[in-house]
Order: sequence, then structure tokens, then C-alpha cells
Amino acid sequence: MTQTQLFSSGLELANFVVSPDILQQAWTAISELYKETSQKEEPSSSVKFKIYEPLNCTIIAFFTWPANSKDYAQGNGGGDFVSSSTHTFFKFLCTKDNPEFSINKPALELFTSIFYELPKSVMANSKPLIITGNSLGGSVASLFTLSLLENFNFLTAKRPLCITFGSPLIGDEGLQEAISKYAAWSSCFLHVVSDQDPVPRVLISQSGVYKPFGTFLLCSKLGCSCFEDPQTILELLKATYSGSPGNQDPNPVFDVYGTFVKDINRKVICKDTTMLPERTTQPLRACIITQLAAIGLVPQQQPHNIDINIITKTEKQEKKLALSKKQVFDPSTKLNQVKVHMANLEWYKKVAKDKKIGYYDSYKNVSHTSDLDVIKDMKTLTCYWEELVNEAEKRPQTVGASLRTRWLFGGTNYRRMIEPLDIADYYNKGKKDYINQGRPKHYIKLEQWLNETPKPAGVPNDSMKQNVASILTEDSCFWAHVEEALISCKMLTGTGSSEMEKQSSRDSLFKFENYAYGLMKNYAVSPEIFLQGSSFMQWWREYEKIMGTSYSSELSKLMKDFRNYDKYATGSL
Amino acid sequence: MLAPISSIKLEFQKVLQFLNAKSVNLAHASIDTFDSSNFYMRVMKNASSVVSHAACNLMGNTNLLLETVSNFIPLSPYKPFGTYVFCTGNGKLVILRNPDAILQLLFYSSQLCREEECTDIAHRSLQQHFGYENDLQESFQMLNEVYLEPLEQLPLSSDSTISDIATINSALNDLGLSTKARLCLCAAGELEKRKTRNKESIDLKKPDIEKAMKYLEEGYRSNCENRGLGCYDAFKLQETHNDFNANVKRLELAGIWDEIIEMLKRYELPDAFEGLRDWVLLGTRYRRLVEPLDIANYYKHLKNEDTGAYMIRGRPKRYRFTQRWREHVEKMPVESSGESCFWAKVEELRIKISSQGFDPIKEEILQLEAQVQNWINYEELDRDVLLEKSTFKKWWEGLPREHKLTSHIKDLMVS
Repeated sequence: MTQTQLFSSGLELANFVVSPDILQQAWTAISELYKETSQKEEPSSSVKFKIYEPLNCTIIAFFTWPANSKDYAQGNGGGDFVSSSTHTFFKFLCTKDNPEFSINKPALELFTSIFYELPKSVMANSKPLIITGNSLGGSVASLFTLSLLENFNFLTAKRPLCITFGSPLIGDEGLQEAISKYAAWSSCFLHVVSDQDPVPRVLISQSGVYKPFGTFLLCSKLGCSCFEDPQTILELLKATYSGSPGNQDPNPVFDVYGTFVKDINRKVICKDTTMLPERTTQPLRACIITQLAAIGLVPQQQPHNIDINIITKTEKQEKKLALSKKQVFDPSTKLNQVKVHMANLEWYKKVAKDKKIGYYDSYKNVSHTSDLDVIKDMKTLTCYWEELVNEAEKRPQTVGASLRTRWLFGGTNYRRMIEPLDIADYYNKGKKDYINQGRPKHYIKLEQWLNETPKPAGVPNDSMKQNVASILTEDSCFWAHVEEALISCKMLTGTGSSEMEKQSSRDSLFKFENYAYGLMKNYAVSPEIFLQGSSFMQWWREYEKIMGTSYSSELSKLMKDFRNYDKYATGSL
Repeated sequence: MLAPISSIKLEFQKVLQFLNAKSVNLAHASIDTFDSSNFYMRVMKNASSVVSHAACNLMGNTNLLLETVSNFIPLSPYKPFGTYVFCTGNGKLVILRNPDAILQLLFYSSQLCREEECTDIAHRSLQQHFGYENDLQESFQMLNEVYLEPLEQLPLSSDSTISDIATINSALNDLGLSTKARLCLCAAGELEKRKTRNKESIDLKKPDIEKAMKYLEEGYRSNCENRGLGCYDAFKLQETHNDFNANVKRLELAGIWDEIIEMLKRYELPDAFEGLRDWVLLGTRYRRLVEPLDIANYYKHLKNEDTGAYMIRGRPKRYRFTQRWREHVEKMPVESSGESCFWAKVEELRIKISSQGFDPIKEEILQLEAQVQNWINYEELDRDVLLEKSTFKKWWEGLPREHKLTSHIKDLMVS
């Protein structure tokens, strides 16, 4: 089978991004803010912002004086960092795997200086939102966008778009990883960089601490192209700089963006004139060459003089990127297989019921080969669900939440079916207190998520009664309680236990009685517990002996009349 | 068609006036060059955004920035279909069938070489609108047609000299296609190739589908008959090992069909797939055979309490899709081929009657009875629903006497 050809669509993406007038609108907002501010104040190192409301969107523009930005950003040789552990703004980005990251100090200071003036509820508006800024204003815009993402509901609202013009890099690899992990977040950032602007390149040092995130639109007189891969972006930022080093008057650079934004509209209608070097037949290579040509890296009339290194490096990165995108976790691919295992479990449960013992005890006593066969299914299911719980946890709250609700039904079914078997294993080993000491984490998480989800309204209680025969016990830890009750009984009847221990056993047995009775009243427990061979019945027989036949309680009244067992199963108790 | 009317309204009106005037009176029509070039610019700009968006998808771009920016610009939903013939200036006819490639070519063949050409080109293109008759006469005489296939092997540079693609290359040059344009066409070709390969891999799964369905159609069904139950009821009760095996087969088939539907949703299969006769028939057979089992599973586990009625929230996409295929091919009204959901309707009616009583539901029951009559007559619904022990029969027997006496299906129920 022939390999699928890879393409690189940076040029197409760039064309698409420049077609609606959003770049123009964003830049107009910034220039207006510039004009306003320069009329009122002298250049300084502060940041100004303003909200504009053209017809089709809302724009929040951040402006900093271009002259001061370069030096300000560089600060003490560009090494000024603020670690995420020292401030609370972006804590939500930290996850188990990525606990810390750093942000450029001047950018953060500017952001915090106006944070409290910034609107918090722009997202309530139904118009799509653009957040934009130039130079350090762009950094502030990025940080502001990041702060909005914390509580953003991607399912119901349209994503905001942050467009920066000539902004320096903001954070380290930790920040880049945190943002790039979720394609939805990364897609909110578009950084426009001109080949004549030194500011975006200011923080690219030899040590390579600063890393880019989001999509970069690199521009030159010939055109522009988009790039996503961080390493490629860093290389190309360095390679495309065409201004002179040293002192660069920043004001014409400011205007460069204005001209670019005006002209690019018309450029898309014209053909590109890239000539490919001979024998370029691979589409990926050809795409990359056209992209490099658009940003000015290909000498016009002599295509063979292109720097082959850059092409090869870029090609390699593109291939790596394409590969990594394929490995995204997707639980739905294995779902139907998982269902087959659950079906096996269901059948096992039914067979055990027919043998009058209930699957919990059948498994506990391991009397049949089917009890061993089921272990394989259990293992596969547990692997699957552990992985899923892990993945959902790794994601920060907003992104993980949707993953959790989708799989909640399946996860709850799994928990109610399989946890009893894990409990059997635990107590078989002679251990105690499963709920507090032995319970695996993924069950705890699954139960927690179920409790956090609001139940659908209006569930008719009658149908619970009619169908109680086929349900799984709602509380997946029911059997752990039964085992503890059995242990308490032994405590009471055995020798060698102190009076205090006996009293606490009596108390816990009493609590267990009420608990069991409560479940039965709500038809929340499977009728299999009444089967002759079940541990629950075993407990009852022992308990009856301990308490004596004259003992009367709600539960004992129910249990003494064995016709009630069948009545419960048919919902007519 | 690629530009929203709001952006070109003003100019379009003038252009239409011009075209109208010209067709009536060839000599005296004229149009302000400003208007015509504006019109041209606007249309091309909009076309550019549609075409670059499409090209990003063709090239497999997964950057969600595409979506974010799409929020700010309305994209034209129109797509070409059929065969397109592009006439180059010198009598050549370039023929193309791939819709994605046609879309790209519509834009790229109209690109300007330099910005300054705009007014000139704009004017010329409006004139060309009337030139079809002459051009075609010439072309038919020369019969110089070029098929742009296979697209994925298109020469990427205009001075490629490999002989067998020389004709194609010169055609591309005549159309004035840049490197970028060629890459887009190439990507369209690659996508088509990928789709065809995907379909071939799905065709390989047909034997598995047939095998599983055969088990259910023959083995399981006769086993249920021996027990005097319909498949639905037997499956719902899950009493014997046969029922368990049927469940496993059901899940297997669900896995295969869900994969197919996922591919369709991601546009990874050829456009013609949903109309292919053998797949439509297979889908319909599958739906009628297995959907009742899914419904039985749904109501057995009381999923309707957590999620709502099967027909509203619980119905898997693989059934919705296969139903739509059949309705489309046989030109039936939408939602009319609902015979596989018969049991879901029965379950819901049972629930409604127990909470609301007979009278409010009477209309729905009459409707269902009429449909049942139809389905049984056309053999779209299996007769085992009428067995003595079937849930349907038992439920129907429980309806008020007056209704049963006047019901359309009372004859069916007696047999």
C-alpha cells in the first residue's frame, strides 16, 4: 500500500486567515488607540487598553509604546522570569504532569497592573471576541486571553481570537506545553510577525528558554505563511529577520504592520510566482518551498540557491507534528470491544444467579472455571477505565469536564458491576476496611463524578420497582459493608475481644441494619442479595443468632418473612 | 456563488444591468471600470477564503485556528458537482470531475498575475461571459481535450519535461496555474485516492458482516421460534446461552458499522458511498435484523430512565444513517422507513398508557396499527411479532375491548 502523501498547508491557512478583515479591524483598533493615547500622553512604559464594538465582533485592544517595548521586554538580558508557583493567575494551567512554568516578568507586571480594570464578563456578549495588541501590548493581550480560557465553556460559546502584532515571546517550555496540549486553547492565538520587526526576536537567546505557542503568521513584502511547530517557528524567526541589528527606530516598524494589513488583502488574488527547483516532486517539499518563498527566504530568480538545510529541517518537523497529532487519546475506538467484556460479565452474573448464589459469592468462593475466566474480562475493563480516568484527570477542569460526562454512564455501569469483584478479592486476602484503605483511585473518581453531575429530573419511581430484578446495586461498595458487618459479627461472637470492641461492633451492626433497610426501601439494591448462598444471607443468619429471635427491627421484620424476598424482586414489597 | 450577496450587492446589481443590456443590445452596453473591478475583487476575495479553507481541509490541516477564524466569516456552502470543462484561450478544453479540484480551479484559473491587471481582467471576464458560443465552436473543431487525471500525479513545476505529462503540463500552463494552485489540485487528488482506499478496506469487512448477520437470521431466529418467542422477547429475557451469543454478535456488528459511520462523518469515504446499492441493501438488512435487539437491550437496562425515550435520545447513528440511505435511494419521504423501530414505539406506548391511560394515547395507537398493517403486508416487519407470547400481542390484548373490535389489525392478531 502506497504511503499517503503529506502536505503542509501553512500557506493556505495564511490565506484563509487574512481573507476576512479581522486583521485589518484589529490593527485599526490598535492605531486608533495609538492616536488617542499619543494625543493625551507622552511615551511611557505603561499599557493602555480600550474596547471597540464594530458591527460583527467585539475588539479589546492593548497598546504599548513601540519605542520602549524592546528594551523593556529585554529587561535584564531577557532572563527575568516569574515562576507560576509565585502567582495565582494561571494556576489552572498546571496539571499533574506539568506542575510549573514561567512567564516573562515585564509582560506579567504590565498585565497585573491593569488586571483589575479589565472586564471579566465580556464573554456574555454573543458577538465573537478579538483581543489584540502590539509589542508588549500583545503579550498582555495573550495573558488576558489565557485568563479568559480558565472558565470558558468551549461547548456553548465561540472561541475568542487573540491577534498580536510584533510581540515578544512570553513563556518557557512549561507554558508552551500547557497550552499546546489542548488544540482548542492553542487555536485561540495568532501572532503576526513582520520580517523587519526586531521585537519578536528579542527573547530568542542561545539558551533557548523562551518558547512560542499558538500559530505564527510570518510576513514579508512578498506575502505571508502560517507555522505551528515551535521549533520551526524559532528557526524561521531567526532566519527571516531582515532589519539591521543594533538600533532600530521602532516607529516605521509600527507602520509596517499597517501597510502589510492593507496590502495583504489584494495579494491573495494574485498568483504566487514561486519557481520550484528541478525534480521537486514530493508535495510536502513543494509546499514548504512555497511557504518559505512567501516569507522571503527563497531567492527569486534562482530557486536552486535555497538553503537546503532549512527545507529539510522544516520537513522533518512537519512529519513529526503530523505523527504526534495521530496519537491523541480517543476512548471511543475501544468502546465496542469493552462492551463485549461487559456482556461477558453480565452473562456470568446471570449464570451465578441461576445457581442460586449470586455472582459476588460465586467469585469469592471460586468454585467453577467460569469464576476464573471472568478475571480476564475484569482486567481488560479495569485497564481501560483506569486509563480513561487518568486522562480525564490530566486535563484541566474545563477541558476534562466534557470527557467525564460523556463516559459517565459507561463508567458507572462498570463500577457497579466490577467493584464488588475487587472487594471480594480484597477481603479474600484477609484485609479489612476496604472503603478507607483499599479502594482503588479510579472507583473513587468515578463515584465522585457521578455525585457531581446533576441528575435528570422526573425519573418515575414506579419503574424502579418494576424492574428491580435486573438492576445492579447502586452503591458499588455495598458488599464491603456486608463484609465489615460479617467481621463485626465475628467480633461479637468470638473470644478475645474487649468490651469496648464489642460495643463498637454492635454500633456498626446497627448502622449497617439501617443502611441495608434504607436501600431496600428505595429498591436500590439488587434482589440477588436474597439468594440462599449470598454473603448477605450468611450475615443475616449469624446476626439473627446473635440478637435472638425476639429481636425486632424494621429490617428483621422484612427479613424474617421469606416471601418478602420474592416480593422485593417483583417490586411489590 | 462563492461570495455572500451582502458584500457584492451594489456592484452585482450594476453588473447584472450591464449583462442584461449587453445581451439585448450588443454594442451600446458599458459599465464603469471601477464597478467592474470592484466586483471582481470582491468576488475573488471571497472565493479566496472559501478555496483556502477547503484547501486546508484537503491537505489534512488539523489546526483549530481554522475553526476559530471561521466564526468571523460566513463561508459559502456551495460546491460544484458533475463534470466541468475549462476553456483555455487557445482552444484547449480541460476536463475535470473531482469536485474539490474543480472548486480550487475555479479560483486559481482566475488569478491575476499582477495587481495592476485587475481592471483589465475584470472587464475582459465580463465580456467573456458572452463569448461561449464562439469559443466552443472553435474548440469543437480542434477537439483538443485534456483530462486532468490522475490528479495526485500532477506536475508541480511548470517546466517539467517528462514526456507523458507534457500535455497535462501545457494545459496547466495555459490555464495559468501557479505552483500553489498545482499543489491544491494535487491535494484534491490525494484525498480522492485516500477515500477510494478507505472504501476498499471497508469492502473487506463485508464477509464479517454477512457471517454475523447469518447467525442471527438463521441460527438465532429458528432457536427463538422453537421456544415460541420472537427474537425481541427472547433477547430481552436473556435466558439461554444462545441469547448471550446473539448479544456478542450484536456488539460485533455495532463495532463494524460504527466505524463505517465515523468515516462517513469525517468525509473519509467517497461521496457516492451512501448511494451504493449493495451497501444500502446490506444496511437495511442489518437495521431490520439488529435494531430490535438494540432496543431490547436499551429497555431491559432501563436506559430510558437515564437518557429518555429510545427514539429521541438513544438511537445510535448507525441506524439513523442506514435508514436515511434507504429513504434516499427509494425516494421515500424522510422518517417514513421506521419499521425497525417498531418495538421502541411499543415500549413507549406501554409506558405512556400506564401513566396516562388509554384515551390520550388513542391517536398514536391507531397510527401504529396502521403502520403495522403496512409493514407486515410488505414483509418489512417479521411475523414473529404476532406470536402468542410476544410482548406486542400481550400488550395489545390488554387494550380496551371496544378498541380491539374496531381495530384495523384485529384480523392479524387473531391468526
